[in-house]
Amino acid sequence: MKRFLLWGVFIGAILFHTAAESAADWEALKEAAKNLRTVKAEFLQKRFLQILKTPLLSEGRFFFDATGGLRWEYQKPLRSLMLQKGDQIRGYHFADGVWKPDMTQAVEARRLVLGEIRQWIQGRYEESKTFKFLFVPGPPAKVVLTPMEGIAKFINRIEIFISAEPGVIQRVEIEEPGDSRTVIEFRNVEINSRLPAEIFDKP
Amino acid sequence: MKRRRQWAIGFLGFLISVSGCASLTEPVLKPGIREDLSGCYTPFPAKSWKAVHQIEAVIQERISSSLIGITEGEPSEQKIHSLLLTPEGFILFEAELREGALSVSKAMPPFDSPAFARGLIEDVALLFLAPQPLPSGWKRGEDGTWTCRWGRPGEARTEVHGSMEQGWKILRRNDQGVLTREVFLNGPFVRGVASHMDLRAFGPAGYKLKMNLLQADF
Repeated sequence: MKRFLLWGVFIGAILFHTAAESAADWEALKEAAKNLRTVKAEFLQKRFLQILKTPLLSEGRFFFDATGGLRWEYQKPLRSLMLQKGDQIRGYHFADGVWKPDMTQAVEARRLVLGEIRQWIQGRYEESKTFKFLFVPGPPAKVVLTPMEGIAKFINRIEIFISAEPGVIQRVEIEEPGDSRTVIEFRNVEINSRLPAEIFDKP
Repeated sequence: MKRRRQWAIGFLGFLISVSGCASLTEPVLKPGIREDLSGCYTPFPAKSWKAVHQIEAVIQERISSSLIGITEGEPSEQKIHSLLLTPEGFILFEAELREGALSVSKAMPPFDSPAFARGLIEDVALLFLAPQPLPSGWKRGEDGTWTCRWGRPGEARTEVHGSMEQGWKILRRNDQGVLTREVFLNGPFVRGVASHMDLRAFGPAGYKLKMNLLQADF
């Protein structure tokens, strides 16, 4: 549950801020989120662990549709995928040349996470029962998320850095206990572009 | 269907700890010449290492899951530090084995049972650490392959067969002589760490682990 909540935080924060029209004004960010229809982006994830000298690198892409679709996909080095369409949530991993359904009990956890994400996308950050937030105008402009009781033993804080380009997030940094952290950098972000309908249906 | 998948992942640790056995003929093996003894250790890293592997776990031939495994080892101390992560990078399990003593520093459900921890670290040790103490028997074949065995009849024992060129097979038997684990290590070998590893646990609760090297971080 907790690990999917963290993962959901990444996505929720990304989606909310990619929808923004101005990086410098919190009210403008919230207002811009209301106009969000779709988001498409690529990402590079760097996983820093105390045990490793160099970070684990993962590349992927995600797609979001405000009507209820979400696709979060890792393409390298492991191929894995989470698909949501409406209430239906499915996970896959790629092995032996085919996509295989995940054997996971986390569907309900993912459903809760995605529900929270939708609150954020709609600009209702303050309704989160998981994180307190602070908007820092910068530069660099960023949002700092601090966990409330319960999740605090899994995560110290999250910082979301907003790009100088209006409406685009630059990166997300997640600090965890034990000198571990994750940095996700985004590129080729497209807001409100047309997405293939089947992108949320099948791997 | 969903409940069956829920059951499956929660059961993974249990499977590792209780998986059964398969019979396989065990050849007679006596102590060989001393010069050939060092070959028995070549499947295992000789110096400290860190490695990242992609893992596909297949349970009972029909349900699979993808994970990332990180291992750090120090052979001189019989020490292994092991992590399991989701593809997203979240740590599910972290434990250390040092001279037989296991300490678990992180274990998220469903990987939080003591049986899972012990089973996992024993599998990791089988893949990376040379058995102790000296082999009870060994020989080098005319084709350049080694066959070595640790342990004697009535004890749990480990058998290694192969070469760096042809790859290695490791067999683990219980004290009844029945096969419980079969491992294939295939190159290229990066400072003693195999790029491709396949582990099979036998029995009604059998499983397979297919591992591919993603990163060596020395």
